[in-house]
Amino acid sequence: MAAGKPSAVDERRAQFARYKQDVKARGKSFYPFAMFEDTVMSLVVVTVIVALAAVWKWTAWAPHHLGTHQGLLGPEYTAPADPGTTNFVPRPDWYFYFLFYLLRIFKWPETVFLGTVGVPTIALILLIALPFYDVRRERRLSRRPVAVVGLVLTILSMAILTWKGATASEALASEVIADVPNWISAEKLPPAAVPGAKLFAVAGCTACHTYLGTGSSNLGAPDLTTIGTRNLGIAFQIRHLQCPSCVNPGSPMPKFASLGTTRLHELAVFLEASKGKK
Amino acid sequence: MSTRRRQPSRMQQAVDFPLDWLEERSGLVGGVKYFLFRKVPADTNWMQTLGSATLTAFLVQTVTGVILAMYYQPTPNDAYASIVNITDHVTLGWLVRGMHKWGASVFIILMFLHMGRVFLFGAYKYPRELNWVLGVLLLVMGMAEGFTGYLLPWDQTAYWASVVGINLNGTAPFLGPWLAQFLRGGQDIGAETLARFYSLHMLVIPGAIFALIGLHLYLVIRLGVTSPPWSKEAAGADRADEPSQLREGLTRPAARGAGESE
Ligand code: HEC
Ligand code: HEM
Repeated sequence: MAAGKPSAVDERRAQFARYKQDVKARGKSFYPFAMFEDTVMSLVVVTVIVALAAVWKWTAWAPHHLGTHQGLLGPEYTAPADPGTTNFVPRPDWYFYFLFYLLRIFKWPETVFLGTVGVPTIALILLIALPFYDVRRERRLSRRPVAVVGLVLTILSMAILTWKGATASEALASEVIADVPNWISAEKLPPAAVPGAKLFAVAGCTACHTYLGTGSSNLGAPDLTTIGTRNLGIAFQIRHLQCPSCVNPGSPMPKFASLGTTRLHELAVFLEASKGKK
Repeated sequence: MSTRRRQPSRMQQAVDFPLDWLEERSGLVGGVKYFLFRKVPADTNWMQTLGSATLTAFLVQTVTGVILAMYYQPTPNDAYASIVNITDHVTLGWLVRGMHKWGASVFIILMFLHMGRVFLFGAYKYPRELNWVLGVLLLVMGMAEGFTGYLLPWDQTAYWASVVGINLNGTAPFLGPWLAQFLRGGQDIGAETLARFYSLHMLVIPGAIFALIGLHLYLVIRLGVTSPPWSKEAAGADRADEPSQLREGLTRPAARGAGESE
């Protein structure tokens, strides 16, 4: 390696040695110069956090002395957790919206896996490995076109996914329950199936399943309008509701064992009675 | 050496004595001095305060979190009531909980902004690759902290978001079902789950974050921070007076002619 062009490794070592020399020769002392800016920025951060906490408190609680009131930044807390009544739309904190929405893109059962694990894992690997595949020494943006395009695309797709996740509308229990009479007449449900139908409307099933066009399909959950035609049986339905992944391995459907056997039985009767429009 | 400096004042002695004592036994004073008076590139800018701003946000989480832990009860029966108590009755409890809740979002945003600045500067390149990897681990840990903390108020939002979140983990191949089972601590989401999330949220993950931040800052100090790449005086920039043999590979003659004053 005596003569000829220096290798890429030599070049970057030389550059780092030069960096150290330059900093030594013309650098500034961290204290007080850089530290001043750091301190100012930290004060801004703490102020912003305190301000957010204050706005949250004074718009949510102050007007009615009610912690569940929806202020500018959301309520202090919602109703206590109740595993029995599932009439709640599951929604993560905002920084998971992009994942949340990614799942909705992969609606079909065979592809759910891509949304939950496949795409996020690949993205994470690409992120961690960045310094190992982008090995050029160049740091100026004008000479890193691929990096710039990649950055813009990443920011765009994260922003769009987060935005879509934030505005995605789920059917609210109150709206779904209004549809129950239509279900009864359209599918000619027997009276025994009515309690199950109401339960279905409020138990959060429509966050993933559609029924006669109501609800939104998520995580590859099937439309249940005609689930009864498959004659899976009451016993199977109850077992599936108690522990979906025990019956259908890998099922992302939550367990509903907490509803209790009576209510599970009502649900099962409703599902088995759902034979489609008559 | 017969000439001695003027005898230091009493005041000076009172400060020096404990410092010298500590330095002689630990070397800590020298360490802090090295940290404070080390040279950084002359052209660092405001974007480079984002890392320490992230650290500040994390420290806010630590302090407020410790206070919350003094009042919070990690059981399904009491969790909700203790959160209501903290928010509406404990003196300034709303402030502590509000800062913790909103500080979490600020922390995550700052991590992303800091990462963006590192990307723009190309600061993840040799020799700082490891610090990028540590950074991504910090990002993942930060989000895991958000996920585990979200369940703790044990209200409807918390509960159902976690039900779905845990079940999503369960869809991953191989490790998925195992991970979901581990997080749940049983067949259903209940007391075991809450205890697990609490322990992860206040011991395991923050511990990991502290350790990672320690390593991260060690590397920042050891390697130094990069100059903005567009800076005319960027530390380490290619130079004309480089031995020609090295320069050949370092610079592209065409690009060089085009207006880069040296
Ligand atoms: C978080 C999303 C989600 C929720 C909420 C949900 N499901 Fe599911 N469900 C799924 C998915 C995904 C499948 C397909 C995998 C499977 O069969 O378990 C499914 C499948 C089903 C099936 C078909 C089972 C089979 O073997 O074909 C039935 C019936 C069902 N769900 C009923 C319900 C009922 C009743 C509720 C409400 C109590 C409900 N689901 C709530 C996601 C959900
Ligand atoms: C808890 C979270 C984090 C903390 C407290 C933190 C802290 C810091 C600090 C104080 C610096 C010094 C320079 C600066 O402020 O810009 C720094 C630099 C750096 N950080 Fe972070 N950081 C965190 C997360 C991350 C993340 C998510 C990444 C990227 C994936 C990252 C990658 C880097 C790199 C590569 C440097 C070196 C930059 C340079 O030399 O110019 N860090 N970090």
